[in-house]
Amino acid sequence: MNYRTPERADALAAQYVLGTMPARARARFARLARSDGVLADAIRAWEDRLSPLGQSVPPIEPPGRVWTAILARIDRGRVASAAERRTVWASVSLWRGLALAGFATAIALVLVLLSPPLEAPEARLVVVLAGQDAKPALIASAGRSGRLLTIKAVTPLSPGADRSLQLWALPATGNPRSLGLVPASGIAQIALPVAAGSALENIPALAVSLEPRGGSPTGLPTGPVLYSGPVQRLY
Amino acid sequence: MAVDPARQLERSARLMELLARTALADQSAFEQLYRMTSSHLYGVAMRILRESAAAEEVLQESFVNVWHHAGSYVAARSQPLTWLTSVVRNRCLDRLRRRDVDTVNIDDEEHAMAIADRSPMPLELLLSGAEANAVRRCVETLDAGPKQAIALAFYQGLSHSELARHLKEPLGTVKSWVRRGLERLKACLDGAGVHR
Repeated sequence: MNYRTPERADALAAQYVLGTMPARARARFARLARSDGVLADAIRAWEDRLSPLGQSVPPIEPPGRVWTAILARIDRGRVASAAERRTVWASVSLWRGLALAGFATAIALVLVLLSPPLEAPEARLVVVLAGQDAKPALIASAGRSGRLLTIKAVTPLSPGADRSLQLWALPATGNPRSLGLVPASGIAQIALPVAAGSALENIPALAVSLEPRGGSPTGLPTGPVLYSGPVQRLY
Repeated sequence: MAVDPARQLERSARLMELLARTALADQSAFEQLYRMTSSHLYGVAMRILRESAAAEEVLQESFVNVWHHAGSYVAARSQPLTWLTSVVRNRCLDRLRRRDVDTVNIDDEEHAMAIADRSPMPLELLLSGAEANAVRRCVETLDAGPKQAIALAFYQGLSHSELARHLKEPLGTVKSWVRRGLERLKACLDGAGVHR
């Protein structure tokens, strides 16, 4: 089969997406599309064109065993491939932790509200980062218009000599963004590029992960999440 | 089927977020993704494969695949549900076509015969699927033959030879119906600015 003219590539992509291509041609076309951007684009364009037609197919609830089987397969894969290399997102407990952190937040609000105001009461952002046991470990706070994020540990941190703790902003969509390292002392002021209100806009939560000394080499969390908490906007 | 565009947009944004998190191995996001899409995708698989054991298997394989390859989804390029549906449809079609090679024609015959008593019919689906958007106008410009051939292929996964047998038309006629129908759809959809 000749795939070389754009018209031919497009016509074949249409047949591929519609599904009328016979087995062997179908397999060959799929193989070619994996290394040929033009074919891959043509396929994608046809998927976009035809997909509205799929909306009318009546949904059917699949049996519960399907999800159980999926879970078993991805768990097995994960244990086999990397027992210790959990990523920041790997733990279901991260989000469970965020929910539990509600209690911790209440405590933090009390702390913040009780502390004597140095100046006129200011709109603040406060994050209580708690471990999986829901016990607060760190409090991060900043004035809405300030550019310093103040970190205070409320329990001793012990990352280990060859490890660092790294603070991450977890956006609503997209990858976590590093905010900087948290020293073992647990007390730090992290400079933000813009005012905290803007820097943490669309950031529902912060998290601290355990990383190699000096921070994640990849720019994304590589170690387990030790603490996390929702961003509270007190304004 | 009435589809509220604002709600659809919101759902798409949510699915994109869940896919992004799944790419980072967030298992709870992956579970939500499954909860939000599995009944639609299972419906699509059942429609094409018409056998629950096979459809379950495809759904399972598809989601295991999504778990490992969610990173290959490029948000800017297609809608998340389109991408997920394509993953499932492709697996269904691969399976059907493999079956074509492995088995004798009697199976094809049964496959084609079984279509008659299933409802809703592909043609109705084609029109109701297109109802909510400009796709309908384009579908309606198709002649009866191409329209029916495309509906049967899209919703039931019929190959050219199965279409010919089911529609009782020569293979060449059916092939050209499909080809012309698709060309016409493309010209109409792209012209109407439906396709990005």
